[in-house]
Amino acid sequence: MLDVALVSLIQDMSEKAGVEGTIQYWFRVGESLANRMGREAYMGWPSFNVALREGRTAFSIEGKVIALTDLAITDVDGDVVGYIYAIEECVFVPTILRVRYSVGDVPRADQAVAEEYNNSIRDTAVCNFCVIHQKFREEVAKNITVADQLLESYQLANRGFTGETKIAEEPLKKLGINPEYVRSLLRNYACVYAMVMKGARLRGEEVEE
Amino acid sequence: MSDDREMKLRATSIKNNPFVDVAAHLFLEDIADKQGAAGMNTYLMSLATSLAKSMPEEEYDTWDAFLEALRAGDSILSTFETVFTPTENCVVTITNPFERGWTEYTKRIGKLSRIHTDVADYYNSTVKPGAIDTSCIIHQTFRNAAADRISVNGKRVKCAQIATIHSDGSKKIAPDEWLPILLEKAGITQTQLNMFMRNNAIVWCVYTE
Repeated sequence: MLDVALVSLIQDMSEKAGVEGTIQYWFRVGESLANRMGREAYMGWPSFNVALREGRTAFSIEGKVIALTDLAITDVDGDVVGYIYAIEECVFVPTILRVRYSVGDVPRADQAVAEEYNNSIRDTAVCNFCVIHQKFREEVAKNITVADQLLESYQLANRGFTGETKIAEEPLKKLGINPEYVRSLLRNYACVYAMVMKGARLRGEEVEE
Repeated sequence: MSDDREMKLRATSIKNNPFVDVAAHLFLEDIADKQGAAGMNTYLMSLATSLAKSMPEEEYDTWDAFLEALRAGDSILSTFETVFTPTENCVVTITNPFERGWTEYTKRIGKLSRIHTDVADYYNSTVKPGAIDTSCIIHQTFRNAAADRISVNGKRVKCAQIATIHSDGSKKIAPDEWLPILLEKAGITQTQLNMFMRNNAIVWCVYTE
């Protein structure tokens, strides 16, 4: 029930504080949630990926996260500096369904917030919940170390409830990943992102130079 | 729609999504930081009322038809909770619909922020004494507003809170001066109330004037 009430709150909030205000609220909540979940340290990528698979990391709050271990991200020297991860079902879908079967339809503010985010921040939101979701992940990455290196999160692609997709071309270019490959991942997954060691010299960056 | 199909649809819609539930709690805390307990209380009540108003109105020819819809989860009053009706006027909610959110919060963040009970104290002293935390304010306000959208044989349905048992085991029972009247309306004794409270979440009553 709380999530359905939250959707109602988003509409109310957007009418009172504007969609920009709702985005700011979501940013603060994303930061706060990540910070209150505490820090984590892993000896290396295998231990991080196992922790993720077993649902022991802060990221596990998003549901079942799959480490696509065949998709290692390497730096200019060929060393593994990150991986691609995917979520099978968008965390907001159960809420959308609950709203659908209790209220009737999702309030207009949902798409209005997503559109404002896409226009003013980054073109990666398919619904209002992407705003907190992506912010949360960025902030959590700052609290996790793998082999003593802080992590950085890149949103790569996502698919909304009604099938619309977002592909983030810029980070894909930076990581040296073909956008069409990530697009094909959206057949099976709702949200695809990368976790990379902060400061790593990525292949795509070298090509740009 | 066949019973099977409906049950499958509902099963899909009640999948777990802890991220949204925990985020909703933090969203409320963020609002409380800015508006204090009084402002937060007003916000929650307005939110719950607008949620109820966004749902379709209902009309029933007989009290039995209303109770049947209530028990089947087809009424706005039981959309978010599973209930049984030990008498014609008493309704018992088996599990608090906010329990999952509370469980996920305590599991992933820690002890529930005090602001949730502070706002409930404000509600109890200024509106009606029946809340343990912010979720009770949303729930009870929603239920009152929802009841107002239901008519049975042309008469508006009313509902009243009798007792609530929080996920952590704490209880809030209607004040001594109100309790005999409420028990009489519900058609149960004090002993029966205590029996229902042993392994259920909320006891309330429905009636028409």
